Amino acid sequence: MTAIDAGPRRRAGDRPPAVAELIDEATVTEITEQAWLALVGEDEVLVPLPAPLPADTLSSWVGITGPWTGTVVLTTGRDTAVELTRALLREHAPEVLEDEDVDDALGELANVVGGNVKAVLPGPSALGLPEVGATPPAGSPADTLRVDVLWRGQPLTVSVQSPLHTEEENEVPL
Amino acid sequence: MTVRALVIDDSRAMRRIVTGTLEGFGYETRQAGHGQEALDVLHEGWVPDLCTIDWNMPVMDGLQFVNAVRTNPAWRAVTLMMVTSESEHGQIVRALAAGAHEYVIKPFTADAIRDKLALLGLLPQEVSL
Repeated sequence: MTAIDAGPRRRAGDRPPAVAELIDEATVTEITEQAWLALVGEDEVLVPLPAPLPADTLSSWVGITGPWTGTVVLTTGRDTAVELTRALLREHAPEVLEDEDVDDALGELANVVGGNVKAVLPGPSALGLPEVGATPPAGSPADTLRVDVLWRGQPLTVSVQSPLHTEEENEVPL
Repeated sequence: MTVRALVIDDSRAMRRIVTGTLEGFGYETRQAGHGQEALDVLHEGWVPDLCTIDWNMPVMDGLQFVNAVRTNPAWRAVTLMMVTSESEHGQIVRALAAGAHEYVIKPFTADAIRDKLALLGLLPQEVSL
C-alpha cells in the first residue's frame, strides 16, 4: 500500500476554527469599503449601522474552500441592487437594466469582497464562482460574522459564514 | 498607433468597466467571457497588444488561458495582465511564473490600471503620466 502524506488532518471531534477566530468585523468592513470606493464610486460611503432588510432581497455569494470552508454573502434589497448596478456601471450602464445585469453586478461585488476575505483567511484556498439569488446557502448561525451597513441610506449586509456542520464530517485533510 | 486590448472576464459588469477604462486611454478593445472564448479571438487572427485576464471563470480560467497563450510562439508579444480578486501571494506567484506580466488585484482604480500600463510601456502617448 502506498502511503500518501496528506499533511495534518482534522479528526472527528476536532472543531474547525470559528470564523470569528480568523477574521473580525473591522476587517470585513474595511474590505467592503475598499470594494465600494473602487467599484461603486469614490464618494460612495458605507455607514456601519444596522437596519432591517426589506422583504424583497437579493443576495450574491461566493464559496471559499480550504483550511476554512464557508461562504461570503452580500444581501440587500432588490431595488438597492438595481441602484447599485447603475452606480457600478456608471456611464457604461445600458439604458434598460436587465435582471441579468443586476445579478452580474451583485455577483461581481461578492466576488471582489469574497476574494479579499479569502486573502485574509488561512490558505491556500479556492474561490468559487459567484452565485446570485433570493436565498443564499444556509450558514451556521453560531458561526457567522455579519457586518451591517447602509449604502445611500439602504441596508446591506455582508456575512462570512461557516456551513452547517454535520456529524458525518469525520476526518478531513487540512 | 492603435493599441488593442482583449478584456477577459466572466462578469459583464467588470468587462464594461475595464473596457471603458481602456477605451478612455485610447485602446481599441474586444471582450471575452472566459479563456476559451478569448483563445477563439486570438485564433481568429485578432491578436491584441494586451490581455486583461480574470482568474476565476467558467469553461477556461485565467491561469489556463495564460498557459495556453504562452505555448504559442505566435502570441509571444501579447502582454498578459491578470485583473482579479485572487489576492493570495501563492496565486500571484503562480500567475507570474506561468507568464503573466502584471497583476492587478480587484478592486482597482483607473489610476492603478494606468500606472501598470505605463510600467509596461502600453500607455498611448497622449495619456502618458
